[in-house]
Amino acid sequence: MQETVTTSALLDPSHSSVSTQDKSSTGGHTSSTGPQPSKPSITPVSAKSRNPHPGANFHRMRRIIAEDPEWSLAIVPLLTELCIQHIIRNFQNNPILKQMLPEHQQKVLNHLSPDLPLAVTANLIDNENYWLRCCMQRWPVCHVAHHGGSWKRMFFERHLENLLKHFIPGTTDPAVILDLLPLCRNYVRRVHVDQFLPPVQIPAQLRPGDQSDSGSEGEMEEPTVDHYQLGDLVAGLSHLEELDLVYDVKDCGMNFEWNLFLFTYRDCHSLAAAIKACHTLKIFKLTRSKVDDDKARIIIRSLLDHPVLEELDLSHNLIGDRGARGAAKLLNHSRLRVLNLANNQVRAPGAQSLAHALAHNTNLISLNLRLNCIEDEGGQALAHALQTNKCLTTLHLGGNELSEPTATLLSQVLAINTTLTSINLSCNHIGLDGGKQLLEGMSDNKTLLEFDLRLSDVAQESEYLIGQALYANREAARQRALNPSHFMSTITANGPENSVG
Amino acid sequence: MNPPGSLAGLDPNLDEHLSTQILAPSVHSDNPQERIQARRLRIAARLEARRREALGEYLDGKKESEEDQSKSYKQKEESRLKLAKLLLCGTELVTNIQVAIDIREIHRRVEEEEIKRQRIEKLENEVKTSQDKFDEITSKWEEGKQKRIPQELWEMLNTQQLHCAGLLEDKNKLISELQQELKTKDDQYVKDLKKQSDDICLLLERMEEQVKNVMKTFREELYNIEKAFEVERQELLASNKKKWERALQAHNAKELEYLTNRMKKVEDYEKQLNRQRIWDCEEYNTIKIKLEQDVQILEQQLQQRKAIYQLNQEKLEYNLQVLKKRDEESTVIKSQQKRKINRLHDILNNLRSKYAKQIKQFQEENQSLTLDYKRLVLQFKELQKAMRHFALIDDEKFREIWLMNEEEAKDLIARAFDVDRIIHTHHLGLPWTAPDFWFLKNVGPISQQPQKSATQIVEEMLMHTEEEEAEEAASEPESYLDLPKQISEKTTKKILMLLCDESGFLIESKLLSLLLPLEQNECYLLRLDAIFSALGIESEDDLYKLVNFFLKYRAHRLSSSLQIKSCSQASMEKASMEETSMGSELELAEQTEMEGAKEESLVEGEKEEEEETPPSPWDIHPNDVLKILEAFVMGLKKPRDSRAPPRVQKNMRNNSKDSEYWQALTTVIPSSKQNLWDALYTALEKYHIVLTQRAKLLLENSSLEQRNTELQALLQQYLNSKINSELQVPPTQVLRVPTK
Repeated sequence: MQETVTTSALLDPSHSSVSTQDKSSTGGHTSSTGPQPSKPSITPVSAKSRNPHPGANFHRMRRIIAEDPEWSLAIVPLLTELCIQHIIRNFQNNPILKQMLPEHQQKVLNHLSPDLPLAVTANLIDNENYWLRCCMQRWPVCHVAHHGGSWKRMFFERHLENLLKHFIPGTTDPAVILDLLPLCRNYVRRVHVDQFLPPVQIPAQLRPGDQSDSGSEGEMEEPTVDHYQLGDLVAGLSHLEELDLVYDVKDCGMNFEWNLFLFTYRDCHSLAAAIKACHTLKIFKLTRSKVDDDKARIIIRSLLDHPVLEELDLSHNLIGDRGARGAAKLLNHSRLRVLNLANNQVRAPGAQSLAHALAHNTNLISLNLRLNCIEDEGGQALAHALQTNKCLTTLHLGGNELSEPTATLLSQVLAINTTLTSINLSCNHIGLDGGKQLLEGMSDNKTLLEFDLRLSDVAQESEYLIGQALYANREAARQRALNPSHFMSTITANGPENSVG
Repeated sequence: MNPPGSLAGLDPNLDEHLSTQILAPSVHSDNPQERIQARRLRIAARLEARRREALGEYLDGKKESEEDQSKSYKQKEESRLKLAKLLLCGTELVTNIQVAIDIREIHRRVEEEEIKRQRIEKLENEVKTSQDKFDEITSKWEEGKQKRIPQELWEMLNTQQLHCAGLLEDKNKLISELQQELKTKDDQYVKDLKKQSDDICLLLERMEEQVKNVMKTFREELYNIEKAFEVERQELLASNKKKWERALQAHNAKELEYLTNRMKKVEDYEKQLNRQRIWDCEEYNTIKIKLEQDVQILEQQLQQRKAIYQLNQEKLEYNLQVLKKRDEESTVIKSQQKRKINRLHDILNNLRSKYAKQIKQFQEENQSLTLDYKRLVLQFKELQKAMRHFALIDDEKFREIWLMNEEEAKDLIARAFDVDRIIHTHHLGLPWTAPDFWFLKNVGPISQQPQKSATQIVEEMLMHTEEEEAEEAASEPESYLDLPKQISEKTTKKILMLLCDESGFLIESKLLSLLLPLEQNECYLLRLDAIFSALGIESEDDLYKLVNFFLKYRAHRLSSSLQIKSCSQASMEKASMEETSMGSELELAEQTEMEGAKEESLVEGEKEEEEETPPSPWDIHPNDVLKILEAFVMGLKKPRDSRAPPRVQKNMRNNSKDSEYWQALTTVIPSSKQNLWDALYTALEKYHIVLTQRAKLLLENSSLEQRNTELQALLQQYLNSKINSELQVPPTQVLRVPTK
């Protein structure tokens, strides 16, 4: 009772201002959230705001009530309703939530505006429904599944992503991000940034200049083209698990310059230091960022003996044999389960070093060397390694200039190995004989579920027969999965894997 | 947003959708394992059904249901396969683009590499040539410095310029070429971009198409499956409905049947009830009457019973009293009996202990008695021995006494005879002849003939024969032995001699050797002794039996073989003897005696004609001796066995004749003679008395005389003694006085 009295007392002095504010907010409110607020709550407010004289108002109301034939007690809002309304209206200044009863809390949360400053809401509100509204308001397309099914986490992750994407070193205040840090540190687990903007002055200088010159002159000013240093942010996020970075500029349009896409050594060092300091990181992805051997080695060195890292994705870079050798070293100095070096420049020596590391590895499940150039020597080395490996399940060797010798070795591996479930040899020159040998190998295998031989010069007949064998294996796997437990993930899981890979 | 993002965004949704779609059928079929099990069972059932069908049974309903069940499952399986295929093909179709781009990229890279290599080569060549040219130019500059002639210099400069221009031109050409290449590359890049965007568009299209397709097929399949299930359900419903209706109809029919049945039954029961009611009424009446009668009777009986009851009560009370008394009595008796029992128990115990004691005692007694008995037996034996001894001694004594008495008697008799003779001769003056009585000759006890052993007899016999031989049959052998059965000695001897000769085997060889130096008679004697001991002949009887046996045998032979002129009497007697061979001993003895006598006569008769006819004993062939002996031994054994018991009686003397004998002895003097003697005695007595009186008187006289003398001597003695002198008054004086 006292509370209500005080609130009503407080309400009086700042009556007009609050009312106006309310009016605007309610207007926005209604527009955004639709017909959620009940009508009776609005009517008195509007009545109050309209009439500056309370006395006249009172008389008129009294008269109206007396004469209103439809008047009934049901129309009169309850005091709790009124209080809740008030709390909602003044939430930004006086956030009261935890002290209320759960039903009232719910009511308040249902009516709160998503535009409230994060400083107020971030650590106070855990209700998913509120954050859902926030997300839906900001982004038209939302995939909660990508953010662990939590709308709040999604909101903060995407918010942070947005900020990072549009952060321009030098011009933007780093405090913008660092202020956010205490609010979002408990909710952000995944940072996915696919664009880092370079400092703004250089593009400004260069913008008037010719595009033809930019190539030559951009190189000159390379040292200044450093991007945002993630160190502080990563150190601040206590639950960070996934870091997905692309040092790239999107939608540059006609402002294209080579130096927009530079991943400098300083960037590299700072990133390496950041990920080394982050002991919760499980997945690290650095793609399409022109990472060459040296930078790759710097990053990999920082990842050596990382406690929890499970997945490393360095696809679409410029990594050569030395980088591959570094990755091979990393394989046996971490708990890495997935390694993706697709679309790099790994050649036979790199593949051999990877094979050497793979021979006795017991962690790695998936290895992707798509669009490299390991050729037969590397392929044979990998096949030899697979004869002793008992862990790897997925191997992608598409587009690696492999030919018949690798196929013969792989067919032997197929007969022995019982862990491999998926092999991709598409876009190689396996040849007719290699296809036959692979078919022979397949006839002894009962575990392989996928075997991609498209565009690899294999005879259609053997490809078809291999497909039959795979089908039989899949059926067997399905039966196996059905019998011990009621899961049937093998076949249904195939589709998405394929599309993603 | 950007297409890959949207695609990536779309994909998971789709995947989820797909996965749920595909998962759905398997989830719907609740337990997959169960499903598999069910499938197996169904297969088994189907096989079974087929078999049954072959056998002729047709189970349509069951089969239909099975087919229905399989329809939905088939549909599900079909859709699953179809969808899997669709997904696989779709993903392949979508990824085909990627693969194609990959391979294009690879080709591009290869080409690029080739071009790059060519370009580098070209550039290197260019660098080399331009360097050469440049070197040439620079060398020419040196050359130019040496040139002094302007024209030459100019010329040279020109050429230099030309060269430079050429170099520059080359370079420019190269640059322009490179720029051209760049431009083409740009174009190609633009083309590639376009192519890539096309590809992406294619990819998007395909993806969309795939998504659409998948959605559509999933919907279709879902619809199909649902339809299949629906159809199945409908069929199931229809069949169930049919079944239900059939069941309902059957039920209705049954219900109707039951109803009619019930109606009928109700009618029946009503009829029965009516009948029953009437019958019951009648019965009720009769029973009522009967019961009333019964009640009356029972009341009467009750009265009677009451009376009896009272009587009984009284009786019972009386009985009760009696019984109570009896009970008391019985308790008293009981206690008494108990006491008695206790007492008896005590007694019993005592008796038991006594009994035990007695048993012990008797055992001891028994032991002592047995010991006594043994001792007594021993004593008895000793006694017997002693008795035997005493018997012998008694015999001896008896004999001695007998002899003594006999002697005495004979003395007395002799004295009597002497007295008689003296009386006869001296007192009477008559001649006296000595009476001859048989008993006077008797010496020793009567009939106490000792059983002589066979050998003794033989010895005697032999001696006798010797004597006879010596005397030359001077005296006929008139019973030289006091035996009642006399066989002629000669025959006996002959027989014995024959026996002795023939049965030498019975004698021990040692004995034979010892016998050699002896006399013929002794030799015979010893031989016979040995033979008799071997044959078991002990006594005289046995010997005679033997002899008789021999004789009988011979007689038998004689009668049978030889028709001798000998009198038929003998033969008759022999025959009679044979008939009564087993007669009494006495008879036999008499007969043999008679025979012996006859034989004697016969022998005597024969003796005269010795030469003419061989003597009968010799008639026995030596060969027959053994046979005879054998038969004899066989015969002898039998009586011998039965003879043992009466042997004791043998010792009992026959004393019947003794009294006779002694009586006879007393009556040696006949009564007449006694009378004579009595008379004589009286006479003599009288004479004696006279004589004695005389003697008496004589004796009296002599004694008186003697006494007188004695008294005189005594008086003398007294008077002469010294005492008389010492005495104051000597008796002598006194005496003298009186006497004096």
